[in-house]
Amino acid sequence: MNTAVLRSWAAWSPGREDEAAWRAWAAHPEALEHEGRPEVAFLPALLRRRCSTLTRIMLAAGFGCCEAADRAEVRTVFASRHGNINESISLFERLSKRQPLSPARFSHTVHNAQAGLYSIAAENRLPSSSIAAQDDTFACGFVEALAHLQREPERAVLLVMADIPLDATAAYGMGLLLANDGDGQAIAFSSSASNAPAEPKAWPDAIEFLRWLITDEPQLQLGSGRVRWSWNRVENRGAQRAASAPPRTA
Amino acid sequence: MMSDPPTPPPCSLTALAMLNALGRSCDEIWPRLVSGDQGYLTIRDELVPDRSVWVGEIPGPLPAIPESFRRFACRNNALTLAALEQIHDTITDVVAAVGRDRVAVVMGSSTSGVSDAEGAIRHHVETGSLAPSFHYEQLEFGGLSRFVAELLDLRGPAYTLSTACSSGARALASARSLLSLGLADAVIAGATDTLCGLTTNGFSALQVISDEITNPCSRNRKGLTLGEGTALFLVTRETGGIQLRGVGESSEAHHMSAPDPDGLGAETAMRTAMRDASLTPDAIAYLNLHGTGTALNDAMECSAIARTFPSPPPCSSTKPLVGHTLGAAGALEAGFCWLMLDAQENDEIALIPHVYDGDFDPELAAIPLATKGMRRPTGPLMSNSFGFGGNNCCLILERGPA
Repeated sequence: MNTAVLRSWAAWSPGREDEAAWRAWAAHPEALEHEGRPEVAFLPALLRRRCSTLTRIMLAAGFGCCEAADRAEVRTVFASRHGNINESISLFERLSKRQPLSPARFSHTVHNAQAGLYSIAAENRLPSSSIAAQDDTFACGFVEALAHLQREPERAVLLVMADIPLDATAAYGMGLLLANDGDGQAIAFSSSASNAPAEPKAWPDAIEFLRWLITDEPQLQLGSGRVRWSWNRVENRGAQRAASAPPRTA
Repeated sequence: MMSDPPTPPPCSLTALAMLNALGRSCDEIWPRLVSGDQGYLTIRDELVPDRSVWVGEIPGPLPAIPESFRRFACRNNALTLAALEQIHDTITDVVAAVGRDRVAVVMGSSTSGVSDAEGAIRHHVETGSLAPSFHYEQLEFGGLSRFVAELLDLRGPAYTLSTACSSGARALASARSLLSLGLADAVIAGATDTLCGLTTNGFSALQVISDEITNPCSRNRKGLTLGEGTALFLVTRETGGIQLRGVGESSEAHHMSAPDPDGLGAETAMRTAMRDASLTPDAIAYLNLHGTGTALNDAMECSAIARTFPSPPPCSSTKPLVGHTLGAAGALEAGFCWLMLDAQENDEIALIPHVYDGDFDPELAAIPLATKGMRRPTGPLMSNSFGFGGNNCCLILERGPA
């Protein structure tokens, strides 16, 4: 069992850009949209032009849950199952026709492109991971965030999960600011072997997590049929009560 | 300000499996590595239109992916399977001892099954349908770690890190953290990358591929030589053997495909790794360079080393021997350090030589390069990996108490 404090969160999907919209959605969940992209007005125009939709979603979620003063001071984990697949496909098509690749397009399709652009946009020089784990991507992103909290316990970790699947189903992104202490919901995480086939879930894992966070259910279980991942609400014993500000959200 | 890092937990690199251009096992690779043999690099004419490029390719057939794992059947996973076979018995023993739910898989890759996907999409362009052997999971980065986990029926966390050329080093760093957190009692960690059209054409477009074999630190250097490879470690909490002693990481906030010319990110990674290992610069016995042979990398890396070490240890790049294996490089080069420590005799290690044309670039900060036959007292060994997007990871390996 490993525990982390969720200091704040933010999420984005077309038409749902702030906490109120997600609370309304959690009360009456309906299908997420896939068309549209965040404005990311906080980015300089030059940088904004280089951002794919996935990058915009990840930066919107990441900047949204991290105050300006903290953005350069957190370790980061970027999790995406499909990553830049929509951009990569067009490179493969060029290759198959033996057409030259654009160097800029190539360098923006690496899986850590979003991590690189966050680092530049936030002037963040701290360690950063980019991961993928098929249908366990969100849970394993959470594991990698815990791994960063282990390496440097006093520093918060920004976990950003986003996806735009090839089949153009829901596009979404979520940012979680996790730490070993501070104000916020304390969450205990564990994993165990599963021999049961995965239960079909209505929403992508990150969105299931968000729905759980907004509701008051004590426990969330997700899994791929190979591993069962559990998140439990626990009392925050390490909260710094002196800092009386309520937990920040989107 | 940074506070002191937590005391690094024991992290034993208990077993190593490897394939690269120099050979298909550690026993085959080590003598060719320590003698600096460049004879295993080859030329490919069809990877980049109108261009011949040197590559470090793994020759010969690879094991077939079992039929029930057909959705994972790609060259990247076949290379990984060939490595798994080398340490299969050790893995089986550890899984039996700790339980399959206590074994995690952390892999690094920047290519996954791209080489197979390219064929499938060429088929699509030519015939209107994808090649029947193609499965999307071959192309997913997460497919590599899932393939290993499902093949061995492991039930711990399984994920792939993809931070370009630091992926493989980062996989070992995360493996150590998972052991320390108690999220696993053993981790299969490493990295695999395959030669493919995407990376060769991409780096060619970036004008960083050399027409000749890469020539790091030379005034005549013209860029990198690409390669492919796999290195897999079994990582446990044992205290003896060869240990992962230090990890240092940084980002650069600089550029998507070029390093910070001052090498500040590289310097931070090296300094943090030594701090993590509670070592001072004079303790490091050897440094495996990132050493890609591009104008920018070698300049910034040498200047970072010269600032970090009052008296730098002997250094070498192994990329003139196996090519730059991109996402696998960090794991392979940690593996090369492992082989040096494993071959240690009478408290001495044989250093892997820096093979180049010998014309050290006077514009670079001076660093000592290891030469063939050089031996040194054993000690902690450092390996640098610097990735695209400004993602750096430096590792320190050392022999633990016997």
